[in-house]
Amino acid sequence: MRGPRPTPRSTRVRARGATIAAFVALAPLLPAAAVAVGTLKVDAALPYVCTLPSGQQPATVRIRATVPDRATVGETIEAADAGTTLELPAAAVAELTALKAATVRAETLLTVGVGQNGESTDVAWRGTTQPSAVPADGPLTLTSTGDVPALTTGTAGDLTLTAGSLAVDLAPSTADGAPTSPASLSVSCVPGPDAAGRTGLAVIPVTPGAVTTPSPSTPTAPPSGPSFPPPPSSPSSPALPSGAPSAPTGRETASTTTGAPRDPASASGAAKGPRVAADGTPGTTAGRPKAPPCITEQPTSTSLSAYITGYSNVRKLDGASLIPVSCVQLEQGEPVIDFRPDGTLHLLQKSEGSLRYQGRKQSPPFSSTFLTFGFAPTTATLVLEQAGPLIVESDVLLVFPDNIAETYIRVPLVLRVLDVEVNGTRLDVGPDCRTVTPLASPEPQPAKYPGDHLVLLGKGQLLNGTDATGYVLTSGGPLTGEVTVPAFKGCGAGGENLDRLLTASISGPGNHIRQIQGQTCAVGVEVPTEGQCTADRQPYVVPKPER
Amino acid sequence: MKKQIRNFAVVAGAATAAFALAAGPASAVPSTVWTVNPTPASFTAANSGNVVLSVNGIAMTCTKSNASGTMASATGNPATVASISAIAFGATGAPCTSVLGNVTTVATTPWTVVAQDYTAATGVTKGYVGNVDAKVTVGACVFRVTGKASGTYTNSTGKLAVNSVSGELTVVSSTNCGSAVPVGAKPLFKGDYLVKVAGTSTIPTIVGSNP
Repeated sequence: MRGPRPTPRSTRVRARGATIAAFVALAPLLPAAAVAVGTLKVDAALPYVCTLPSGQQPATVRIRATVPDRATVGETIEAADAGTTLELPAAAVAELTALKAATVRAETLLTVGVGQNGESTDVAWRGTTQPSAVPADGPLTLTSTGDVPALTTGTAGDLTLTAGSLAVDLAPSTADGAPTSPASLSVSCVPGPDAAGRTGLAVIPVTPGAVTTPSPSTPTAPPSGPSFPPPPSSPSSPALPSGAPSAPTGRETASTTTGAPRDPASASGAAKGPRVAADGTPGTTAGRPKAPPCITEQPTSTSLSAYITGYSNVRKLDGASLIPVSCVQLEQGEPVIDFRPDGTLHLLQKSEGSLRYQGRKQSPPFSSTFLTFGFAPTTATLVLEQAGPLIVESDVLLVFPDNIAETYIRVPLVLRVLDVEVNGTRLDVGPDCRTVTPLASPEPQPAKYPGDHLVLLGKGQLLNGTDATGYVLTSGGPLTGEVTVPAFKGCGAGGENLDRLLTASISGPGNHIRQIQGQTCAVGVEVPTEGQCTADRQPYVVPKPER
Repeated sequence: MKKQIRNFAVVAGAATAAFALAAGPASAVPSTVWTVNPTPASFTAANSGNVVLSVNGIAMTCTKSNASGTMASATGNPATVASISAIAFGATGAPCTSVLGNVTTVATTPWTVVAQDYTAATGVTKGYVGNVDAKVTVGACVFRVTGKASGTYTNSTGKLAVNSVSGELTVVSSTNCGSAVPVGAKPLFKGDYLVKVAGTSTIPTIVGSNP
């Protein structure tokens, strides 16, 4: 696992720079057989015009992917090995060097139009780049890879993919690894005039399926990628079954790796769901971004489930660790009106639940890569294990016409280390490498809530007939907190004690946490609200982590 | 405790009642002939400003709400001058929200628009939206509201201003909503809708008379 490559400098400076960690998310769970034998290579280099703070600049955008060369109705169409390469001209690079940027990382969002039979929708191909050195002069090439949504369609006819706008968020860092000021630069690019008629990426014939048509007439030689008739709606397919074709629905699937490690932003891409299904069939699993299973066993009428993900800073390492999309299952408490002696009116609600992963009360495993002590690239595979109940308490102050909500989530979590690799060498941490005690947050009510536990606070409000904003238990939102990571124990095997290495690397106070919870699925209600649950009643909304 | 609940409801109710009273004095002779123009016709209505349903001080806000139905001249007092065959609260990407979570409302229609009083000087009809029946879901909390909601219709603007008075709407069933939304709670509904003859920009009018 390679971290950033700081230029030679003093050990101390190098240590700081190096600890701007290149974190790795979980290996993408792409079914290897997902890409059919018959595939179509997309490789299009297109002239774009990018708008930078200083003005417009021409740029070349190269889009690559592998897509099936045909599909049948209802079949999942997945793009693999999707990548976007943006070549920024020297003038654009000058904007980065003006910020004293030595390296830059980028998140990209390519809008891809999906058309069929006159219907069309947009999907987002998201990607992230590895940190790249900013050249002193000359162009800068950024290659991003990431997750793209899978598609299905209920209708026969040619399905077309068309390149659209490209949004790029650049995160430049100075030579010592600190963020530049400003810390980010947004670049928006659109196909340039010279790209007219060339933005077609692929045409995928979709046939009614083997049941109805052995299809000698099925196109067997699909057009090669870039040569593509511009109007996506051109009716090139035979007569279609009656009824309006449904818009394609998307399901995000991990698509690509180029052997490069994925950083947290990349994993954030995994959670960013193009809400294609909002136009289609939100009730289906197919319309949902990739997420671990979250089926509530034996649900009751008050069962809720939701996904949560976000970052936890590792202050000691001056970096952030991504806690991947995790399943939380709750039993929603009854809301109770409470009249306080001070005359205020409160609505209280206490719910209890747990993290769920493969039947255990824990997060999925996740990896963090960092350079310990400035030189040793270390990758740790971690998991958060729940050591007690997860309690969600909402207190809504009802001050007509305003409602002000505070929700505290308390849960004891032990950080367990499953695996460590230092400099490419795996160290056996043994089966019982954990923090001595649960992670501990400052507790506003220590007498009422003794013991070490994580405290996250979500604030929400509804003011005078406007929409509710912020965090609300059933619709989600941001939760923040601060946590101390205790020392590790039980780490090492074969006589080697790794407790001190891990404690020195990770343990310590003042680690800021920001988690984003998605809309809950009310698992047990008679008719779940559209867009909140999948067909098998998992949460439909997969949040994306925010910093 | 109980006393405070009552006080709270009274305050909310008083505010609404004051608004209703300010809407205009009743005419001397009740109208019995209601002339809707055009008649019969289909109409559509879209909210103007946010629509708010509140129960026990818990507000549920919808930034989007649409309705459609038919309208026709009628006689009697009160008289049903329109039928709302569909009404939606919230839209894709713009759900109704509350501090308990996003709110889903499914209306059982038809609802009615009932005229009771007409003021010729202002062109304002007072009446209510009747036959209200809706199932509201917030997370695992599901409750059903039935009843009516007072409102006014102004010919010059096409605005149907619904502003219910406490007691008109009642929670008739409630599951997993605790004491926040118990059976018997009296929700308040407030929202303005701009009405058009379907497919046009024409504002329909309602005129009451007593020949």
